[in-house]
Amino acid sequence: MPAIRSTVDRMDKPSSYAASKNNRRRESDRGDDDGPREQSPQREFEDNLKDATTLYVGNLSFYTTEEQIHELFSKCGEIKRLVMGLDRFQKTPCGFCFVEYYSHQDALDCMKYIGGTKLDERIIRTDLDEGFAEGRQYGRGKSGGQVRDEYRDEFDPGRGGFGRIYTEDSH
Amino acid sequence: MLLEDDDIERERRPARRRYEEPIASRLRREIVAIAENVMGPYEDQCAGIGREIGLNFEDDQIRGPFLDNLVQLLKEQPMKIPFVAAVILYANDVNSEAGKETMARVGAQLQNALEKGDWREFKLLLRFFGCLQGILQEGGVLPVLDELFDLAADQMAASEEDAVGLELVKIILLTIPYIMASSATGLEEQISELLKKTEVIAYVQHPHEVLVAPYPGDGPEIPFGFQSVIGLLQKQLEREAEKGWELRCIARPYKFLPELVPEPKEGEVKEENGTNGDAKPKTSTKHPLPAVTIPAPQNLAQKPLFPETFFSIYADLEVETVPPTTNIAASLMRDCLIDNINILDFNRTATAKFLIEMDFFWARGTFASRGVTLDQLKNYPAERSHWKPEDVVLDALFSQIFLLPRSEHKLIYYHSVITETCKLAPSQIAPTLGRAIRFLFKHIDVMDMELAYRYLDWFAHHLSNFEFRWKWSEWVGDLDRVELHPKKAFIMSILDKEIRLSFAKRIRETVPHQYHFLITEGKFKDVPEFKYNSPTTPYSSEGKEILSLLRKKAPESEIQIAMDAIQTQAAEHGIEDPMIPSTDAYVTAVCFIGSKSLSHVLSCIERCKERLLNIGPMSEGARRQIVASVVEYWKDQPGTAVNIIDKLLNYTIVTPESVIIWALGPETLGNGSVLAEGWRYEMVSVTVGKVTNRVRQIVAARVSSVTASLEDEQIKMLDDTLTKERAAMRQLFAAIADAVGGIAAGAADGFIEEDNFTTEEAALVKQWGERWGRVFNRKLAVEEAFVGEAAVVAQIAGAIAQAGLQKTRDEKAAVLKAEEDAKREVERLEAEAKAAAEVEEKQAIGLNGHGVDGNGAMDMEHDVVE
Repeated sequence: MPAIRSTVDRMDKPSSYAASKNNRRRESDRGDDDGPREQSPQREFEDNLKDATTLYVGNLSFYTTEEQIHELFSKCGEIKRLVMGLDRFQKTPCGFCFVEYYSHQDALDCMKYIGGTKLDERIIRTDLDEGFAEGRQYGRGKSGGQVRDEYRDEFDPGRGGFGRIYTEDSH
Repeated sequence: MLLEDDDIERERRPARRRYEEPIASRLRREIVAIAENVMGPYEDQCAGIGREIGLNFEDDQIRGPFLDNLVQLLKEQPMKIPFVAAVILYANDVNSEAGKETMARVGAQLQNALEKGDWREFKLLLRFFGCLQGILQEGGVLPVLDELFDLAADQMAASEEDAVGLELVKIILLTIPYIMASSATGLEEQISELLKKTEVIAYVQHPHEVLVAPYPGDGPEIPFGFQSVIGLLQKQLEREAEKGWELRCIARPYKFLPELVPEPKEGEVKEENGTNGDAKPKTSTKHPLPAVTIPAPQNLAQKPLFPETFFSIYADLEVETVPPTTNIAASLMRDCLIDNINILDFNRTATAKFLIEMDFFWARGTFASRGVTLDQLKNYPAERSHWKPEDVVLDALFSQIFLLPRSEHKLIYYHSVITETCKLAPSQIAPTLGRAIRFLFKHIDVMDMELAYRYLDWFAHHLSNFEFRWKWSEWVGDLDRVELHPKKAFIMSILDKEIRLSFAKRIRETVPHQYHFLITEGKFKDVPEFKYNSPTTPYSSEGKEILSLLRKKAPESEIQIAMDAIQTQAAEHGIEDPMIPSTDAYVTAVCFIGSKSLSHVLSCIERCKERLLNIGPMSEGARRQIVASVVEYWKDQPGTAVNIIDKLLNYTIVTPESVIIWALGPETLGNGSVLAEGWRYEMVSVTVGKVTNRVRQIVAARVSSVTASLEDEQIKMLDDTLTKERAAMRQLFAAIADAVGGIAAGAADGFIEEDNFTTEEAALVKQWGERWGRVFNRKLAVEEAFVGEAAVVAQIAGAIAQAGLQKTRDEKAAVLKAEEDAKREVERLEAEAKAAAEVEEKQAIGLNGHGVDGNGAMDMEHDVVE
């Protein structure tokens, strides 16, 4: 029997951002190979996350410490591992992290109860993640931080002021 | 060119045919949002939807997916049940088939919920039938209530600790008001008889009551004691019976409208109407209640339950902003709200919206205007309701945060809902919230200590979402109290918790200067000093040596030399266990190296794992020193210490016993003042939690082994492990009880002689001892209810019975499916035969069946052949 649709949306689903990123990745992976098409990338993506215990956490202040993250996120369950996102060159926090729990349920609860609330007085974003892999702790922006911080034209004191490229341009 | 053509083509084409939403999906949308802010009265809305369901009931999409959604709505949004029921009453008047089929669908789920022991779902679905009592034949829901009562009575007779019986009686009592508010009449007699029966159970005292009271004891300073939920319900219903079942708060969106009922067809005679259809008044068609089989007591799912207390911050105060506890409305609203909150934990913003708008779902005039101030209420006419919806809502939310032994979801869920309500309706919620914070603070001295800690945790987390704004000036007076006073201890702990979520400098900015002395200098330091840097610290040079060796990642042999040097010196100084000072130096160095962040200390521990793991087996004293050194190093940021100890427990570098003995053993306990430290309670309860979780996991594995087809040997292994771990768990609890019991019994009195330890302080310490004792005594009782010998036997029996029931259900479902398949097959064959006959017929009269009227199947075949 197919599951009956809930009368209220669920907050413990991967975000549309994660899903679209996944689709883009899939498409580029596929390349020109004319082999049999994947049955459904969306389905596979959801399958990969059905036991996910890791969360990507975004929009952190550069100054937020592991201890602060631990303090908040352990309210959803014991934390197995916490990996801070770092600037590729300076090796300083650059505003994101991965939080890994022992159980899938804790990760879901985190989506439901922590995503969209404040830590260190900033609204943070959580997303289910397939799991941390070495290398992913570094920012992918040109200047070493996160891409979103390169072009920001608003001043964000918690994330290094103006965007780095924006700053360069205006000089 | 082609493109252009295409463009022209597109333009020339008439506007796209407008998409017409299928009726089932429109009705789904409407019923899901039923009673939410409708323009015009909810009666009309219910009648409108009901009428359309009745008229379109032949639509597969309505009979199928739509009805599934309707059942889901009953289970997910309890406040809407009376409205959904009204819709079905209207639908039934239009087309009695709609009423009959809906009941059959809900009935099947009702039976399921009962067998699974899903009491909440059972209650909600039964409530739906209660609302339909007016179109039920032969007593409707009442015989089921009688049977439930018999089952409850059996349960209670079998064991006085049973709480399933209490749950069943609660369900009975909560169903009665909906029956009495339904369109059924003349039930007063039967209900009052039922109430006479339930009285015996509802007023009985449960042995666990004392464990779950939020404000224990019976002194004059407690705001309220244990208030049995079913005891209150019973009393409220008796009062309601006397008043002739007014039940003013329940919305009654259904009115019988004769014009909805279709004229009986020619020759068709309605059952109840006697011989001739015409001239008789029209009535609703009645149906029998779908059969409900009450399972045998031994087949009930075994989940430990505890008696429930009614927690209310705003009830029975000077201004009546929530229904008084004597009024059935108090119980009905609370029940609906907490169900709504707990069911919809997967969308906190939707939950918050329901809560803010909850006045929609009750009879008009039940509430005062949203967000009305206490001052404005004073000017309200006496006959107008003074109930503030936001007070009722926050009361329900706090009742879940302060539910003992534990709330249904992680506490942070309830925090997040409160945050969302504040975001949605700040001016409405904030003043009410402020009153709650004051009430809780006022009574913090007499609150159960675990709950006081939950308050602390919530308050700090809440403030962290709202710029740490609070009227701290109100509590300045409490700063002069001795540190052992629960209010002062609370203030100290709250600042500490806030700092953990933020940082000292920021928190200092948010409080008046009178508070500044509490945020000591050490709290501003990210990296605490390494005490061996001071030459006055014993073993200073060796300590520094160990640090530099560890930094250099020197070989173990070199570190050993430095460790030995400390031990030799210590032995010379006559120190009983020379491993203690060497462990102190080593662990302090590890902490210092790891002070940059949690990951740093973890990687350092990982690197030093071997030596750390070897300490415990050599000396228990040194093992406790590990805990002591971590706590000492992080004395200004105890939260970090608690975290590190937690990780050390995972590494088995320290054991639960060593943590408990360090935290509460005679050496640390002294005169008992340390019991006022919030972080100490946190450390002990986290440690205990680890042990109890493990035992519960073993029990869960043992219970599920019933269906997992394990070898006998494996089961025996599980049993042995369980016996061992359970004994260790009990020992741990006993150690805590011993330690804090001594303080509670007045062991601290001996310290009054000491400087600065007053009689007031001795009395306060005694109180702390009692509070600790109570909490861990309860925790033990709760664990025994889950993992005690008798509990495990009962759960295994329950699991076997459940497996049996599941098998029967599966078989029944298989039979139904087979029948359904067979029916469909027959229909398919008939349809085919009919189609074939038509083709033959057409061919017979000289028409070519192919391609003319688009006989799809034929065309397809033809194309393939060509």
